[in-house]
Amino acid sequence: MATYSATTLELGRPSFAGIESSVTGRRGAISELDDIDALSRTYRARLIRFVVNATGDPDLAETVAQDALLRAYNGREAFRGDCGIATWLTGIAINVLRNHQRTERYKFWKKVKSKAVDVQEMASFLPADGSSAEAQLMAKEKVMQLARVLETLSSNQRTVFAMRFTEEMEVADISEMLGMQVNTVRTHLHRALTAVRSQLGAKI
Amino acid sequence: MTPEQSAHLSEEAINDFLIGLGSPDSEAHLAACSKCSSRVKGFRSEVNDFNLATLAWSEARPQVRLYEAARPQARRFAASPLIWALATVLLLAVGFPLWKHFQLAANDASAKAPVSRDSEAQIAQDNDLLQSVNVALNEGEESPVAVYHLSEAPHPRLRSRPELRKQ
Repeated sequence: MATYSATTLELGRPSFAGIESSVTGRRGAISELDDIDALSRTYRARLIRFVVNATGDPDLAETVAQDALLRAYNGREAFRGDCGIATWLTGIAINVLRNHQRTERYKFWKKVKSKAVDVQEMASFLPADGSSAEAQLMAKEKVMQLARVLETLSSNQRTVFAMRFTEEMEVADISEMLGMQVNTVRTHLHRALTAVRSQLGAKI
Repeated sequence: MTPEQSAHLSEEAINDFLIGLGSPDSEAHLAACSKCSSRVKGFRSEVNDFNLATLAWSEARPQVRLYEAARPQARRFAASPLIWALATVLLLAVGFPLWKHFQLAANDASAKAPVSRDSEAQIAQDNDLLQSVNVALNEGEESPVAVYHLSEAPHPRLRSRPELRKQ
């Protein structure tokens, strides 16, 4: 299994199953990548969501999302279409995130700033699905609980949880993208799942 | 108690199924066991709600226009109004004193030329004036040698040293 590096991710080399790989698909993706603002409108929120779920830091999420989109736009000619744009962008975002987390400036601000998502505010964004008010309230409560449980997880657990359950990536792909053994990814996911499921209630 | 109820999936087996590494046996059990499948569905529903809420929250974040950020650095730099304003101020700050300096230098050059022409004539005129004053003052004035009856003979102390007298 090939290991993903920053270069291969940014060049769009990873090959994920079930993703468009035809020349037509690539052309379509390239034309989509040509408009930076359209790219931002389509994928920025998803990237922010991923980084927020992986780090719990909304400011960092916005920075990483913007950097990832700019890198994708500037390196769009290298996109091979072996995977979807969303997956490609997620890979770029992970590299940007790692670069940010390695910098001294990030470490400094992490120490001095208390950045956390307001889980109550976030839960209030849950779209109404036509269910009863009580069911909506319960659903929002569960969203808040899940957000709070994620805050207790380690960085690796949060990241693999977000990749698996938010980005719906396969364990093998997560393993490749993060350069982790499959068993390590599996262990992180197991621990995260155990924490989440136990906190959300015995029902699940 | 039915057989499916007596042997539900373990937490680990459910976790494996949720992360996509479930065994065929687990999948078969989930297809038959309503309790285990409801646990899986319950988790997926919670996560789905969480994803919907976080996506809606992310979409509500203020949009930024990345087009400007994606333009080459030099063009962005040149296009910034602040940069143009600073450049104008800098130009004025340096250019105005320089212009002022050259302006004054030109004025000095034009002002000095007649003065230098006048000065020679002025000096000659002043010399004539001083000469005439000197002559006027000296007219009718007795010499101090005559007033004080001083002799032209050398001083007595110098008589013994003729070499000094010659000087």
